[in-house]
Amino acid sequence: MSVAVSHISKRFETRGQRAVPALRDVSLEVQTGELLALLGPSGSGKTTLLRIIAGLEIADEGQVFFGQEDVTEKSAYARKAGFVFQAYALFQHMTVFENIAFGLRVLPWKKRPNAEAIAKRVGELLTLIQLEDHEKRLPSQLSGGQRQRVALARALAVEPRVLLLDEPFGALDAKVRRDLRKWLRHFHEQTHLTSLFVTHDQDEAFELADRVVIFNEGRIQQIGLPSELRQNPANDFVRAFLEV
Amino acid sequence: MKRATTDSWVVRYLLIGFMLAFILIFLVFPVCVILIEALRRGLAFYFSALSAKHSISAIRMTLTVAAIVVPLNTIFGVCAAWAITHFKFPGKSLLISLIEIPLWVSPVVGGLVFALIFGRQGWLGTWLETHQIQILFALPGIVLATAFVTFPFVARGLIPLMQAQGSAEEEAALTLGANGWQLFWRVTFPKIKWGVLYGMILCNARAMGEFGAVSVVAGSVDDKMTMPLQIENYYQALGPGGLPRAFALASILLLLSVITLAIKIGLEWRSLAPHTVRPIKPVSPH
Repeated sequence: MSVAVSHISKRFETRGQRAVPALRDVSLEVQTGELLALLGPSGSGKTTLLRIIAGLEIADEGQVFFGQEDVTEKSAYARKAGFVFQAYALFQHMTVFENIAFGLRVLPWKKRPNAEAIAKRVGELLTLIQLEDHEKRLPSQLSGGQRQRVALARALAVEPRVLLLDEPFGALDAKVRRDLRKWLRHFHEQTHLTSLFVTHDQDEAFELADRVVIFNEGRIQQIGLPSELRQNPANDFVRAFLEV
Repeated sequence: MKRATTDSWVVRYLLIGFMLAFILIFLVFPVCVILIEALRRGLAFYFSALSAKHSISAIRMTLTVAAIVVPLNTIFGVCAAWAITHFKFPGKSLLISLIEIPLWVSPVVGGLVFALIFGRQGWLGTWLETHQIQILFALPGIVLATAFVTFPFVARGLIPLMQAQGSAEEEAALTLGANGWQLFWRVTFPKIKWGVLYGMILCNARAMGEFGAVSVVAGSVDDKMTMPLQIENYYQALGPGGLPRAFALASILLLLSVITLAIKIGLEWRSLAPHTVRPIKPVSPH
Protein backbone atom coordinates (compact mmCIF):
# COMPACT_ATOMS: atom_id res chain seq x y z
CA MET A 1 0.00 0.00 0.00
CA SER A 2 1.25 3.48 -0.85
CA VAL A 3 1.39 6.32 1.63
CA ALA A 4 0.97 9.93 0.63
CA VAL A 5 0.96 13.27 2.38
CA SER A 6 -0.38 16.31 0.66
CA HIS A 7 0.35 19.94 1.58
CA ILE A 8 1.15 19.20 5.21
CA SER A 9 2.00 22.14 7.47
CA LYS A 10 2.66 22.09 11.18
CA ARG A 11 3.69 24.71 13.72
CA PHE A 12 4.71 24.11 17.30
CA GLU A 13 3.62 26.58 19.94
CA THR A 14 6.34 27.25 22.44
CA ARG A 15 5.48 29.34 25.45
CA GLY A 16 6.90 32.85 25.29
CA GLN A 17 8.23 32.33 21.80
CA ARG A 18 6.97 32.66 18.29
CA ALA A 19 5.44 29.50 16.86
CA VAL A 20 8.16 27.65 14.99
CA PRO A 21 7.08 26.09 11.71
CA ALA A 22 8.17 22.46 11.78
CA LEU A 23 6.73 21.56 8.38
CA ARG A 24 5.82 23.85 5.51
CA ASP A 25 3.62 22.59 2.69
CA VAL A 26 5.13 19.10 2.45
CA SER A 27 3.81 16.72 -0.23
CA LEU A 28 5.27 13.29 -0.72
CA GLU A 29 4.34 9.82 -1.90
CA VAL A 30 5.86 6.55 -0.76
CA GLN A 31 5.05 4.01 -3.44
CA THR A 32 3.80 0.53 -2.68
CA GLY A 33 6.64 -1.73 -1.65
CA GLU A 34 9.15 1.10 -1.55
CA LEU A 35 11.73 1.75 1.15
CA LEU A 36 12.07 5.50 1.42
CA ALA A 37 14.51 7.47 3.58
CA LEU A 38 13.83 10.90 5.06
CA LEU A 39 17.28 12.42 5.39
CA GLY A 40 18.08 15.75 7.00
CA PRO A 41 19.83 17.52 9.85
CA SER A 42 18.29 17.38 13.32
CA GLY A 43 15.37 19.73 13.79
CA SER A 44 14.50 19.66 10.12
CA GLY A 45 11.01 18.28 10.74
CA LYS A 46 11.46 14.74 9.47
CA THR A 47 10.42 13.04 12.73
CA THR A 48 7.39 15.33 12.94
CA LEU A 49 6.34 14.22 9.45
CA LEU A 50 6.69 10.57 10.46
CA ARG A 51 4.59 11.17 13.59
CA ILE A 52 1.93 12.94 11.53
CA ILE A 53 1.74 9.95 9.17
CA ALA A 54 1.31 7.61 12.16
CA GLY A 55 -1.35 9.88 13.69
CA LEU A 56 0.68 10.68 16.81
CA GLU A 57 0.77 14.33 15.83
CA ILE A 58 -1.99 16.33 14.14
CA ALA A 59 -1.06 18.49 11.17
CA ASP A 60 -2.38 22.07 11.06
CA GLU A 61 -3.07 21.71 7.34
CA GLY A 62 -2.92 19.02 4.72
CA GLN A 63 -4.00 15.42 4.30
CA VAL A 64 -2.59 11.94 4.85
CA PHE A 65 -3.52 9.00 2.61
CA PHE A 66 -2.97 5.29 3.11
CA GLY A 67 -3.56 3.96 -0.41
CA GLN A 68 -6.78 5.61 -1.62
CA GLU A 69 -8.07 6.06 1.91
CA ASP A 70 -7.95 9.51 3.48
CA VAL A 71 -6.83 8.86 7.07
CA THR A 72 -6.31 12.52 8.03
CA GLU A 73 -9.15 12.45 10.56
CA LYS A 74 -8.36 9.00 11.92
CA SER A 75 -6.61 8.49 15.24
CA ALA A 76 -3.32 6.67 15.64
CA TYR A 77 -5.02 3.55 16.91
CA ALA A 78 -7.33 3.39 13.90
CA ARG A 79 -4.46 3.92 11.44
CA LYS A 80 -2.30 1.21 12.96
CA ALA A 81 0.86 2.12 11.13
CA GLY A 82 3.76 -0.01 12.30
CA PHE A 83 5.98 2.42 14.18
CA VAL A 84 9.47 1.79 15.51
CA PHE A 85 10.44 4.48 17.99
CA GLN A 86 13.84 6.03 18.33
CA ALA A 87 14.29 4.85 21.94
CA TYR A 88 12.21 1.71 21.13
CA ALA A 89 9.48 2.47 23.71
CA LEU A 90 9.22 -1.20 24.65
CA PHE A 91 6.81 -2.00 27.47
CA GLN A 92 9.27 -2.27 30.34
CA HIS A 93 7.08 -4.44 32.55
CA MET A 94 6.33 -7.03 29.84
CA THR A 95 8.49 -9.86 28.61
CA VAL A 96 9.73 -9.96 25.03
CA PHE A 97 6.91 -12.37 24.23
CA GLU A 98 4.25 -10.10 25.71
CA ASN A 99 5.69 -7.04 23.99
CA ILE A 100 5.40 -8.72 20.59
CA ALA A 101 1.98 -10.18 21.39
CA PHE A 102 0.57 -6.83 22.54
CA GLY A 103 -0.86 -5.73 19.19
CA LEU A 104 -2.66 -9.09 18.84
CA ARG A 105 -4.01 -9.07 22.39
CA VAL A 106 -5.64 -5.65 21.99
CA LEU A 107 -7.46 -6.58 18.79
CA PRO A 108 -11.25 -6.38 18.98
CA TRP A 109 -12.71 -9.56 20.44
CA LYS A 110 -13.93 -10.94 17.09
CA LYS A 111 -10.60 -10.51 15.32
CA ARG A 112 -8.42 -11.58 18.23
CA PRO A 113 -6.55 -14.82 17.59
CA ASN A 114 -6.65 -17.49 20.30
CA ALA A 115 -3.70 -18.13 22.61
CA GLU A 116 -2.32 -20.82 20.34
CA ALA A 117 -2.39 -18.63 17.24
CA ILE A 118 -0.79 -15.76 19.17
CA ALA A 119 2.00 -18.06 20.39
CA LYS A 120 2.56 -19.27 16.83
CA ARG A 121 2.71 -15.77 15.37
CA VAL A 122 5.04 -14.51 18.12
CA GLY A 123 7.20 -17.61 17.60
CA GLU A 124 7.53 -16.80 13.90
CA LEU A 125 8.55 -13.25 14.65
CA LEU A 126 11.05 -14.37 17.29
CA THR A 127 12.62 -16.61 14.66
CA LEU A 128 12.65 -13.73 12.20
CA ILE A 129 14.54 -11.49 14.64
CA GLN A 130 16.69 -14.39 15.85
CA LEU A 131 15.71 -14.08 19.50
CA GLU A 132 13.91 -17.42 19.93
CA ASP A 133 15.39 -18.14 23.35
CA HIS A 134 14.83 -14.63 24.73
CA GLU A 135 11.04 -14.65 24.88
CA LYS A 136 10.89 -14.62 28.67
CA ARG A 137 13.39 -11.77 29.11
CA LEU A 138 12.41 -8.24 30.08
CA PRO A 139 13.50 -5.37 27.82
CA SER A 140 15.96 -4.23 30.50
CA GLN A 141 17.79 -7.54 30.12
CA LEU A 142 18.43 -7.05 26.39
CA SER A 143 21.18 -5.26 24.49
CA GLY A 144 20.40 -2.23 22.35
CA GLY A 145 20.38 -4.20 19.12
CA GLN A 146 18.12 -6.85 20.62
CA ARG A 147 15.68 -4.20 21.87
CA GLN A 148 15.63 -2.69 18.41
CA ARG A 149 14.69 -6.02 16.86
CA VAL A 150 11.98 -6.64 19.48
CA ALA A 151 10.54 -3.20 18.70
CA LEU A 152 10.47 -4.14 15.03
CA ALA A 153 8.84 -7.53 15.69
CA ARG A 154 6.24 -5.85 17.91
CA ALA A 155 5.36 -3.44 15.10
CA LEU A 156 5.19 -6.28 12.54
CA ALA A 157 3.00 -8.57 14.65
CA VAL A 158 -0.23 -6.88 13.59
CA GLU A 159 0.78 -6.96 9.91
CA PRO A 160 0.74 -3.21 9.44
CA ARG A 161 0.02 -1.64 6.08
CA VAL A 162 3.10 0.55 6.36
CA LEU A 163 6.21 0.55 8.48
CA LEU A 164 7.55 3.81 9.92
CA LEU A 165 10.95 3.87 11.57
CA ASP A 166 12.28 6.85 13.52
CA GLU A 167 16.10 6.87 13.56
CA PRO A 168 16.00 3.08 13.81
CA PHE A 169 19.73 2.66 14.34
CA GLY A 170 20.41 5.92 16.13
CA ALA A 171 21.22 4.52 19.55
CA LEU A 172 23.39 1.61 18.45
CA ASP A 173 27.13 1.20 18.07
CA ALA A 174 28.69 1.02 14.62
CA LYS A 175 28.99 -2.75 14.27
CA VAL A 176 25.42 -3.53 15.37
CA ARG A 177 24.24 -0.70 13.19
CA ARG A 178 25.80 -2.20 10.06
CA ASP A 179 24.44 -5.67 10.81
CA LEU A 180 20.93 -4.41 11.46
CA ARG A 181 21.04 -2.25 8.36
CA LYS A 182 21.81 -5.31 6.23
CA TRP A 183 19.18 -7.28 8.06
CA LEU A 184 16.52 -4.63 7.45
CA ARG A 185 17.40 -4.37 3.73
CA HIS A 186 17.14 -8.14 3.47
CA PHE A 187 13.84 -8.12 5.35
CA HIS A 188 12.49 -5.44 3.03
CA GLU A 189 13.49 -7.35 -0.10
CA GLN A 190 11.58 -10.36 1.19
CA THR A 191 8.40 -8.62 2.29
CA HIS A 192 8.27 -5.40 0.24
CA LEU A 193 6.36 -3.73 3.04
CA THR A 194 5.96 -0.04 2.25
CA SER A 195 8.46 1.59 4.60
CA LEU A 196 9.59 5.06 5.53
CA PHE A 197 12.52 5.71 7.79
CA VAL A 198 14.03 8.83 9.26
CA THR A 199 17.78 9.29 9.56
CA HIS A 200 20.42 11.97 9.78
CA ASP A 201 23.10 9.60 8.47
CA GLN A 202 23.48 9.82 4.69
CA ASP A 203 25.41 6.54 4.36
CA GLU A 204 22.52 4.81 6.04
CA ALA A 205 19.98 6.50 3.78
CA PHE A 206 21.88 5.82 0.58
CA GLU A 207 22.72 2.23 1.42
CA LEU A 208 19.24 1.21 2.54
CA ALA A 209 16.67 3.22 0.68
CA ASP A 210 15.21 2.93 -2.80
CA ARG A 211 14.71 6.68 -2.89
CA VAL A 212 15.91 9.41 -0.55
CA VAL A 213 14.06 12.57 0.46
CA ILE A 214 16.29 15.42 1.61
CA PHE A 215 14.71 17.59 4.24
CA ASN A 216 15.69 20.93 5.67
CA GLU A 217 13.85 23.56 7.73
CA GLY A 218 10.51 21.84 7.29
CA ARG A 219 10.68 21.63 3.51
CA ILE A 220 11.56 18.93 1.02
CA GLN A 221 14.73 19.99 -0.75
CA GLN A 222 14.97 17.14 -3.23
CA ILE A 223 13.64 13.62 -3.85
CA GLY A 224 15.50 11.08 -5.89
CA LEU A 225 17.54 7.96 -6.28
CA PRO A 226 20.82 8.08 -4.36
CA SER A 227 22.76 8.38 -7.61
CA GLU A 228 20.58 11.24 -8.89
CA LEU A 229 21.03 13.22 -5.71
CA ARG A 230 24.78 12.96 -5.84
CA GLN A 231 24.98 13.82 -9.54
CA ASN A 232 22.41 16.60 -9.68
CA PRO A 233 21.92 18.30 -6.33
CA ALA A 234 18.92 20.59 -6.68
CA ASN A 235 20.25 23.46 -4.59
CA ASP A 236 23.10 24.71 -2.43
CA PHE A 237 21.76 23.07 0.71
CA VAL A 238 21.70 19.60 -0.86
CA ARG A 239 25.15 20.16 -2.34
CA ALA A 240 26.57 21.23 1.02
CA PHE A 241 24.75 18.55 3.00
CA LEU A 242 25.94 15.73 0.73
CA GLU A 243 29.37 17.32 0.36
CA VAL A 244 29.45 16.80 -3.41
CA MET B 1 37.59 1.66 53.06
CA LYS B 2 37.60 5.42 53.03
CA ARG B 3 35.06 7.17 55.21
CA ALA B 4 32.74 9.55 53.43
CA THR B 5 33.03 12.27 56.06
CA THR B 6 35.85 13.56 58.16
CA ASP B 7 33.68 14.17 61.25
CA SER B 8 35.18 12.79 64.42
CA TRP B 9 33.40 9.98 66.25
CA VAL B 10 32.33 12.45 68.96
CA VAL B 11 30.27 14.45 66.48
CA ARG B 12 28.85 11.32 64.98
CA TYR B 13 27.71 9.81 68.26
CA LEU B 14 26.41 13.17 69.49
CA LEU B 15 24.28 13.57 66.39
CA ILE B 16 23.00 10.01 66.45
CA GLY B 17 22.31 10.27 70.18
CA PHE B 18 20.49 13.56 69.76
CA MET B 19 18.34 12.11 66.99
CA LEU B 20 17.50 9.02 69.02
CA ALA B 21 16.61 11.11 72.08
CA PHE B 22 14.41 13.31 69.94
CA ILE B 23 12.60 10.32 68.45
CA LEU B 24 12.16 8.76 71.90
CA ILE B 25 10.70 11.91 73.48
CA PHE B 26 8.51 13.06 70.63
CA LEU B 27 7.46 9.82 68.95
CA VAL B 28 7.95 6.72 71.07
CA PHE B 29 7.00 8.22 74.43
CA PRO B 30 3.55 9.48 73.34
CA VAL B 31 2.76 6.11 71.80
CA CYS B 32 3.67 4.39 75.06
CA VAL B 33 1.56 6.85 77.03
CA ILE B 34 -1.44 6.06 74.86
CA LEU B 35 -1.06 2.33 75.43
CA ILE B 36 -0.39 2.68 79.17
CA GLU B 37 -3.32 5.03 79.73
CA ALA B 38 -5.63 2.91 77.61
CA LEU B 39 -4.88 -0.17 79.69
CA ARG B 40 -4.54 1.52 83.09
CA ARG B 41 -7.90 0.28 84.35
CA GLY B 42 -7.38 -3.21 83.07
CA LEU B 43 -8.36 -5.17 80.00
CA ALA B 44 -11.99 -5.50 81.03
CA PHE B 45 -12.46 -1.76 81.20
CA TYR B 46 -10.53 -1.36 77.95
CA PHE B 47 -12.86 -3.64 76.03
CA SER B 48 -15.99 -2.22 77.63
CA ALA B 49 -14.80 1.26 76.67
CA LEU B 50 -14.29 0.13 73.10
CA SER B 51 -17.63 -1.63 72.89
CA ALA B 52 -19.49 1.41 74.20
CA LYS B 53 -22.17 2.59 71.78
CA HIS B 54 -20.38 5.84 70.94
CA SER B 55 -17.00 4.16 70.43
CA ILE B 56 -18.46 1.62 68.04
CA SER B 57 -20.33 4.25 66.06
CA ALA B 58 -17.18 6.41 65.85
CA ILE B 59 -15.08 3.49 64.57
CA ARG B 60 -17.77 2.64 62.05
CA MET B 61 -18.04 6.26 60.94
CA THR B 62 -14.29 6.65 60.44
CA LEU B 63 -14.03 3.43 58.45
CA THR B 64 -17.07 4.36 56.33
CA VAL B 65 -15.68 7.81 55.56
CA ALA B 66 -12.29 6.36 54.59
CA ALA B 67 -13.96 3.70 52.45
CA ILE B 68 -15.79 6.40 50.48
CA VAL B 69 -13.14 9.11 50.34
CA VAL B 70 -10.09 7.01 49.42
CA PRO B 71 -11.55 5.47 46.23
CA LEU B 72 -13.07 8.84 45.27
CA ASN B 73 -9.79 10.70 45.53
CA THR B 74 -7.91 7.83 43.90
CA ILE B 75 -10.11 8.02 40.82
CA PHE B 76 -9.82 11.78 40.78
CA GLY B 77 -6.06 11.70 41.31
CA VAL B 78 -5.42 9.23 38.50
CA CYS B 79 -7.67 11.16 36.10
CA ALA B 80 -6.02 14.47 36.98
CA ALA B 81 -2.50 13.07 36.66
CA TRP B 82 -3.41 11.47 33.32
CA ALA B 83 -4.91 14.67 31.93
CA ILE B 84 -2.01 16.80 33.13
CA THR B 85 0.70 14.53 31.75
CA HIS B 86 -0.89 13.47 28.46
CA PHE B 87 -2.81 16.50 27.23
CA LYS B 88 -1.75 20.00 26.33
CA PHE B 89 -4.17 22.67 27.50
CA PRO B 90 -3.95 26.26 28.69
CA GLY B 91 -3.76 26.84 32.44
CA LYS B 92 -2.13 23.48 33.15
CA SER B 93 0.43 24.75 35.64
CA LEU B 94 -2.31 26.73 37.40
CA LEU B 95 -4.35 23.54 37.71
CA ILE B 96 -1.40 21.73 39.32
CA SER B 97 -1.22 24.51 41.90
CA LEU B 98 -4.98 24.48 42.45
CA ILE B 99 -4.90 20.77 43.30
CA GLU B 100 -2.59 21.62 46.18
CA ILE B 101 -4.93 24.18 47.77
CA PRO B 102 -5.99 21.82 50.60
CA LEU B 103 -2.35 21.52 51.66
CA TRP B 104 -2.00 25.28 52.05
CA VAL B 105 -5.37 26.06 53.59
CA SER B 106 -6.10 25.24 57.22
CA PRO B 107 -8.48 22.27 57.44
CA VAL B 108 -10.81 24.32 59.67
CA VAL B 109 -11.21 26.83 56.85
CA GLY B 110 -11.99 23.96 54.48
CA GLY B 111 -14.66 22.73 56.86
CA LEU B 112 -16.08 26.24 57.25
CA VAL B 113 -16.55 26.51 53.49
CA PHE B 114 -18.84 23.48 53.53
CA ALA B 115 -20.64 24.82 56.59
CA LEU B 116 -21.19 28.06 54.68
CA ILE B 117 -22.57 26.28 51.62
CA PHE B 118 -24.73 23.64 53.29
CA GLY B 119 -25.46 25.18 56.70
CA ARG B 120 -28.90 26.33 57.80
CA GLN B 121 -27.95 29.94 57.13
CA GLY B 122 -25.83 28.90 54.16
CA TRP B 123 -26.34 29.28 50.42
CA LEU B 124 -28.19 26.01 49.96
CA GLY B 125 -29.53 25.78 53.52
CA THR B 126 -33.17 26.62 52.86
CA TRP B 127 -33.37 24.50 49.75
CA LEU B 128 -31.84 21.50 51.52
CA GLU B 129 -34.18 21.92 54.46
CA THR B 130 -37.32 22.02 52.31
CA HIS B 131 -36.16 18.86 50.53
CA GLN B 132 -35.17 17.25 53.82
CA ILE B 133 -31.63 16.54 52.74
CA GLN B 134 -29.19 16.35 55.61
CA ILE B 135 -25.61 17.15 54.64
CA LEU B 136 -24.13 18.98 57.60
CA PHE B 137 -23.85 17.05 60.88
CA ALA B 138 -24.19 13.82 58.90
CA LEU B 139 -22.15 11.41 56.81
CA PRO B 140 -22.26 13.48 53.55
CA GLY B 141 -20.79 16.53 55.27
CA ILE B 142 -18.01 14.53 56.92
CA VAL B 143 -17.22 12.83 53.61
CA LEU B 144 -17.07 16.18 51.80
CA ALA B 145 -14.78 17.76 54.39
CA THR B 146 -12.50 14.73 54.47
CA ALA B 147 -12.41 14.54 50.67
CA PHE B 148 -11.40 18.19 50.55
CA VAL B 149 -8.53 17.72 52.97
CA THR B 150 -7.20 14.54 51.31
CA PHE B 151 -7.81 15.77 47.75
CA PRO B 152 -4.18 16.20 46.61
CA PHE B 153 -2.54 13.07 47.97
CA VAL B 154 -2.91 10.69 45.02
CA ALA B 155 -2.62 13.28 42.25
CA ARG B 156 0.40 15.03 43.71
CA GLY B 157 2.44 11.86 43.88
CA LEU B 158 1.42 10.65 40.43
CA ILE B 159 1.96 13.81 38.39
CA PRO B 160 5.77 13.93 38.73
CA LEU B 161 5.94 10.14 38.37
CA MET B 162 3.95 10.14 35.13
CA GLN B 163 5.76 13.19 33.78
CA ALA B 164 9.09 11.47 34.37
CA GLN B 165 7.90 8.33 32.58
CA GLY B 166 6.75 10.25 29.53
CA SER B 167 4.30 9.06 26.89
CA ALA B 168 6.52 6.89 24.70
CA GLU B 169 5.04 3.54 25.77
CA GLU B 170 1.53 4.95 25.47
CA GLU B 171 2.26 6.15 21.95
CA ALA B 172 3.63 2.74 21.05
CA ALA B 173 0.45 1.11 22.37
CA LEU B 174 -1.66 3.52 20.29
CA THR B 175 0.14 2.64 17.06
CA LEU B 176 -0.45 -1.02 17.92
CA GLY B 177 -4.18 -0.38 18.00
CA ALA B 178 -4.89 -0.21 21.74
CA ASN B 179 -7.94 1.83 22.72
CA GLY B 180 -7.93 4.18 25.69
CA TRP B 181 -9.13 1.56 28.16
CA GLN B 182 -6.57 -1.05 27.06
CA LEU B 183 -3.88 1.62 27.01
CA PHE B 184 -4.54 2.56 30.63
CA TRP B 185 -4.90 -0.91 32.12
CA ARG B 186 -2.21 -2.68 30.12
CA VAL B 187 0.46 0.01 29.75
CA THR B 188 0.00 2.97 32.09
CA PHE B 189 -1.39 1.33 35.22
CA PRO B 190 1.37 -1.29 35.61
CA LYS B 191 3.88 1.57 35.55
CA ILE B 192 2.11 3.66 38.18
CA LYS B 193 0.43 1.07 40.41
CA TRP B 194 2.88 1.46 43.31
CA GLY B 195 2.53 5.23 43.10
CA VAL B 196 -1.26 4.90 43.17
CA LEU B 197 -1.15 2.59 46.20
CA TYR B 198 1.28 4.86 47.99
CA GLY B 199 -1.02 7.83 47.40
CA MET B 200 -4.02 5.82 48.63
CA ILE B 201 -2.21 4.96 51.84
CA LEU B 202 -1.29 8.57 52.55
CA CYS B 203 -4.84 9.57 51.69
CA ASN B 204 -6.23 6.90 53.99
CA ALA B 205 -3.99 7.88 56.90
CA ARG B 206 -5.05 11.49 56.62
CA ALA B 207 -8.73 10.61 56.11
CA MET B 208 -8.86 8.55 59.31
CA GLY B 209 -6.96 11.10 61.37
CA GLU B 210 -8.54 14.35 60.20
CA PHE B 211 -9.89 16.48 63.02
CA GLY B 212 -10.15 20.17 62.10
CA ALA B 213 -12.25 20.10 58.94
CA VAL B 214 -14.50 17.34 60.22
CA SER B 215 -15.07 19.02 63.59
CA VAL B 216 -16.70 22.00 61.85
CA VAL B 217 -19.15 19.97 59.76
CA ALA B 218 -19.86 17.20 62.26
CA GLY B 219 -20.93 19.52 65.03
CA SER B 220 -21.52 17.78 68.31
CA VAL B 221 -24.00 15.08 67.43
CA ASP B 222 -22.87 12.06 69.41
CA ASP B 223 -23.57 9.31 66.91
CA LYS B 224 -22.27 11.31 63.92
CA MET B 225 -18.69 11.47 65.08
CA THR B 226 -15.48 10.11 63.69
CA MET B 227 -12.84 8.59 65.94
CA PRO B 228 -10.74 11.75 66.40
CA LEU B 229 -13.88 13.71 67.31
CA GLN B 230 -15.10 11.06 69.73
CA ILE B 231 -11.68 10.91 71.38
CA GLU B 232 -11.82 14.64 71.94
CA ASN B 233 -15.38 14.25 73.19
CA TYR B 234 -14.43 11.59 75.74
CA TYR B 235 -11.45 13.64 76.81
CA GLN B 236 -13.58 16.73 77.45
CA ALA B 237 -16.31 14.77 79.24
CA LEU B 238 -16.45 15.21 82.97
CA GLY B 239 -16.46 12.38 85.40
CA PRO B 240 -14.30 9.33 85.88
CA GLY B 241 -13.58 7.07 82.93
CA GLY B 242 -13.47 9.88 80.39
CA LEU B 243 -9.73 9.88 80.04
CA PRO B 244 -9.24 6.09 79.85
CA ARG B 245 -12.06 5.89 77.32
CA ALA B 246 -10.39 8.55 75.20
CA PHE B 247 -7.12 6.65 75.34
CA ALA B 248 -8.80 3.31 74.60
CA LEU B 249 -10.28 4.71 71.40
CA ALA B 250 -7.01 6.47 70.61
CA SER B 251 -5.24 3.14 70.80
CA ILE B 252 -7.45 1.83 68.00
CA LEU B 253 -6.65 4.87 65.86
CA LEU B 254 -3.01 4.18 66.67
CA LEU B 255 -3.43 0.57 65.60
CA LEU B 256 -4.89 1.69 62.27
CA SER B 257 -1.92 4.03 61.80
CA VAL B 258 0.53 1.25 62.57
CA ILE B 259 -1.16 -0.99 60.00
CA THR B 260 -1.01 1.82 57.44
CA LEU B 261 2.65 2.42 58.23
CA ALA B 262 3.43 -1.27 57.88
CA ILE B 263 1.76 -1.38 54.46
CA LYS B 264 3.66 1.75 53.43
CA ILE B 265 7.01 0.26 54.48
CA GLY B 266 6.12 -2.96 52.71
CA LEU B 267 5.31 -1.02 49.55
CA GLU B 268 8.49 0.99 49.66
CA TRP B 269 10.45 -2.19 50.05
CA ARG B 270 8.51 -3.81 47.23
CA SER B 271 8.81 -0.89 44.81
CA LEU B 272 12.56 -0.63 45.45
CA ALA B 273 13.10 -4.31 44.68
CA PRO B 274 15.73 -4.65 41.94
CA HIS B 275 13.52 -6.13 39.26
CA THR B 276 11.25 -3.11 39.19
CA VAL B 277 14.05 -0.58 38.77
CA ARG B 278 13.76 0.79 35.29
CA PRO B 279 16.97 1.14 33.31
CA ILE B 280 17.83 4.49 31.82
CA LYS B 281 17.11 4.28 28.14
CA PRO B 282 19.91 5.22 25.76
CA VAL B 283 19.18 8.40 23.87
CA SER B 284 20.71 8.81 20.49
CA PRO B 285 22.28 12.06 19.32
CA HIS B 286 19.40 13.19 17.14
